[in-house]
Amino acid sequence: MSKYKAVIGLEMHCEMQSNSKVFSSAENSYNDTPNANVRPLDMAFPGTLPTVNKECICKSLLMSLVLNCSQPEYMYFDRKNYYYPDLPKGYQITQMHAPVGVNGKITIDIDGREKEVLIHDIHLEEDSASLDHYRDISLIDYNRSGVPLLELVTEPCFYSAEEAVAFLEYMRRIYQYCGVSEADTKKGQIRCDVNVSIMDENASELGTKVEMKNINSFANVYDAINYEIKRQSELKDAGRYDEVEQETRRFDEESGTTIRMRSKVDAIDYKYFVEPNIPKYKITKEWLEEIKKDIPMLPRERKEKYIKEYNLSEYDANIIIKEKDYADYFEECVKIGINPKLAANYLIVQIIAYINKEGISIKDFYLKPEYLKQIIVEQDKGNISSKQAKEIFNKALDERKEPKNYISKDNAQISDKNLLEDIINTILDNNQTQIEAYHNGKTNLFDYFVGQVMKETKGKANPNMVKEILKEKLD
Amino acid sequence: MKNFTKELVDDLALKLLIGLTDEENKMVLDEFDVIDQNMELITKIPNISKVEPMTHALDDFTYVLRDDKKEESIEIKELLQNCDKYEGREIEVPKVVG
Amino acid sequence: MKIENTIEDLHQMLNNKEVTVEELVNESLSKSKLVQKECNAFVTIIENPIIKEVNSNLLSGIPYGIKDNYSTKGILSTGSSNTLKDYIPFYTATCIENLEKCGAIAINKTALDEFGMGGTGTTCHTGIVKNPWNKLHMCAGSSAGSAAAVAAGVYPFALGSDTGDSIRKPAAFCGIVGYKPTYGMISRYGLFPFASSLDHCGCLTRSVKDAAIVVDAMKGLDKNDQTSWDSSNIHLYNSIDGQVKGKKLFYIQNIVDLENYTNPSKELKEHINNFYKTLDLLKKDGVEVEGINIDKALLNAIPSVYVCLSCAEATSNMSNLTGIIFGPRGKGENVTDMMIDHRTQGFSPLIKRRFVIGSYILQKENQEKYFVNAQRVRRLIVDKMKELFKTYDGLIMPVSTGPAPLLDNPKDSVSVDDVSVLEEHLQIGNFGGFPSITIPNGFINDLPVGINITGNCYDDINVLNIAYHLESKMPYKGQIAPLKEDNHE
Repeated sequence: MSKYKAVIGLEMHCEMQSNSKVFSSAENSYNDTPNANVRPLDMAFPGTLPTVNKECICKSLLMSLVLNCSQPEYMYFDRKNYYYPDLPKGYQITQMHAPVGVNGKITIDIDGREKEVLIHDIHLEEDSASLDHYRDISLIDYNRSGVPLLELVTEPCFYSAEEAVAFLEYMRRIYQYCGVSEADTKKGQIRCDVNVSIMDENASELGTKVEMKNINSFANVYDAINYEIKRQSELKDAGRYDEVEQETRRFDEESGTTIRMRSKVDAIDYKYFVEPNIPKYKITKEWLEEIKKDIPMLPRERKEKYIKEYNLSEYDANIIIKEKDYADYFEECVKIGINPKLAANYLIVQIIAYINKEGISIKDFYLKPEYLKQIIVEQDKGNISSKQAKEIFNKALDERKEPKNYISKDNAQISDKNLLEDIINTILDNNQTQIEAYHNGKTNLFDYFVGQVMKETKGKANPNMVKEILKEKLD
Repeated sequence: MKNFTKELVDDLALKLLIGLTDEENKMVLDEFDVIDQNMELITKIPNISKVEPMTHALDDFTYVLRDDKKEESIEIKELLQNCDKYEGREIEVPKVVG
Repeated sequence: MKIENTIEDLHQMLNNKEVTVEELVNESLSKSKLVQKECNAFVTIIENPIIKEVNSNLLSGIPYGIKDNYSTKGILSTGSSNTLKDYIPFYTATCIENLEKCGAIAINKTALDEFGMGGTGTTCHTGIVKNPWNKLHMCAGSSAGSAAAVAAGVYPFALGSDTGDSIRKPAAFCGIVGYKPTYGMISRYGLFPFASSLDHCGCLTRSVKDAAIVVDAMKGLDKNDQTSWDSSNIHLYNSIDGQVKGKKLFYIQNIVDLENYTNPSKELKEHINNFYKTLDLLKKDGVEVEGINIDKALLNAIPSVYVCLSCAEATSNMSNLTGIIFGPRGKGENVTDMMIDHRTQGFSPLIKRRFVIGSYILQKENQEKYFVNAQRVRRLIVDKMKELFKTYDGLIMPVSTGPAPLLDNPKDSVSVDDVSVLEEHLQIGNFGGFPSITIPNGFINDLPVGINITGNCYDDINVLNIAYHLESKMPYKGQIAPLKEDNHE
């Protein structure tokens, strides 16, 4: 652990989901066939013009609202000019002057404590093409060219790799909850730039900021931050802090280190200017109100509801909100009348374990909430034991049949109170000696009576009810 | 006024991936003084810092954002018909490093 | 030749079977060859155009020319640049598709100053374009080939594009009509961009009504251009009635007044006097014309604002020209060298010079001072014009400082002298996206000169109507340059 205070800022790029690209009508989806999602603009053929996708604007504004940002009165775009073989126009259309959101904040939970994260801005831009490198050549695939990207920039407000990653994890979930992005790091849908500086604990000025670009997994973000803190701290310890330069580095996954790319002095002048082909577009209050209605309940709010209204433990609630699909499954269960605690229990103990083992999404899980209900209702009524319920759950899943097929009258529990009382009365009448012994202190005889009832009912008596009635009669 | 040098002109050109011959460089240099003088005409207009820059041809554009509908991709044959070097369905360039 | 008639007349002749589409196309092709030989006006002549049927549409069966900075499917489209010398697009510009739907027949692609970035017609990769009235003189540019061809009677109309005055100045120098409507009335989809916030599509014709017919066909809301707007309720041709009584026009006194010029040339004097004579024609018919003085500092800044904005936007717009996806591959060990070679070989010296200016202006440390301030002055100029358009129906001005200059004296470098504002004032029309039309108003030294009318945005009908009336009071409508074949050895 460093004796210095580390200050970290994040830039999170996230590919947005939509039918078409942000400025062209080419399909926005991953495609194994190169150059199969391309409209003329995506390869910058002369004379082509950008046209703004409404859905992308809506989703950007929705995220801007979720992050409690302020929105510009007029939406417009800027050109970021630079030459690179993956950038066919020679500029990227982005938002520098008027991002969809500025000055936001959002509260996240980190290890049970709350943290307010300050958002500098969130803006909409287009992705570049992708390069495939071979021994002597590179090949360019323009499928990704023009895919909508949301870039979220935080203030330097994180003080550890844990905090930074907790935020990224939370944001990933928000994107999924809001249907803005699949936010799948494995598919390269999230890329991060991270800046790190260190300072003495009580210093008032930030240290020299070092930026690391294009980190493609949260684990790497974590490692890169910690490596950078260590590197900078060691230099500072050795009295060589002046060697920490304002520069751009990249994270090398193999060595787990960061490697210098270029100094701030060599920073490219992007010559930003307003994109003249996209007129300013008025963002009305009414429109923002409409969009607000589309904001779903977010994970933190859901968690609070689960704990307060459904009496779930914080631990359980945390597991359920981890993925939007889990939370949706759970809420569907509650909506159709399943006892929330039982639903949570099934979800956490059995369903998540099962889908993780099978490597499937909960959306493809055979036992939809309505099927689960068939089991849980019977169990809740006491018609089947928890052991039986589990058997039925597994059988239904194995044989892909509705659970109700396995709930027969035969294995139904006896939960009829009158019937159980009759049986118990008979047994008690026949065991006067044991009752006397019980009252004299041999309390373990209670189990004997239970055993007698189970024997009489061939094990079908509802054990909880039997215990209840016996207690009533004996005590 | 800024002192324009051959180096500055070459640097400006190179940032746009353009090489200049000595002759072209000299032409720019000769012209630059005039240009800079001309530019001064803009800065002579008083009190303009509060004027909102006019970034588009019209101020009263109203337009409809594009519906999120996808259109067919352009045929690969057409995409590559003007390309001097490609491999399979992709455009080929010398290996890009860094 | 029959092809030398206006669209209106040709349509009638076609309907009356006085001429067939084939005859018109053949005449147009043979005239193309003459004009190519004498004036070097074309990049491509389309040898076997598809013959279309005549129907009720005024443009059906009418031959026309396309400036080579429009994308045309299957037809070489170079922008008159070596960077695109072999580029064959797979899509057609929206406004050309609109013309094709009307049945117009493209005959050739016309030469221009490389990507429209020039005003002389001398920087085309195919060489210099000569003025059909006198081949020692330039056509001006950038729509040089289109202007030469229409003036020589190759067809009744050709497409141009106009970023500073690229339709309206060559029209004046070639004695024809040049019209650019309000920004966004015609979609720019498929027009190779020069400076997007100033680029306009438009046409060159030999009559005002023909210009209205052509733009009626070209215009319309386009889903591929979000700066285009719906003009379906505007019918230019049908709205021209020639009624001008009570209209009010202004001219900018301090640009036009000869007293403001030290040692005005003989040509300039003649040009200005001719301008005043033309104003008298309007006054006689009940049009009020007044001279207005505008702040000199604002006027003097016009050419600089234009250079700033156009060069800056151009550097960015032409960043796609790297030879990777289209255009000839450059040589080089690595990608950057390859792109540099393509651009260094491909662009003409003039364009390179302008790029360097644009690069300088957009640099972070200069941007506020030059680029953003230029955008601010642009607004001041436009606001001033809009204020005047509240009182006046339009601005009327002489085009340039006289007729076409000699080719061996091209002035395409930026300069500061007292005539530069008179030379460049048409750029006001691009700053504000205003509708603007040039028509011929006489001859000086046997070379045509022109006059320009510019109106407020969306007020195209008014502008055309005044131009139409004025045209009817002068003998220059439909004039054809008497192009003679040189005795080539």
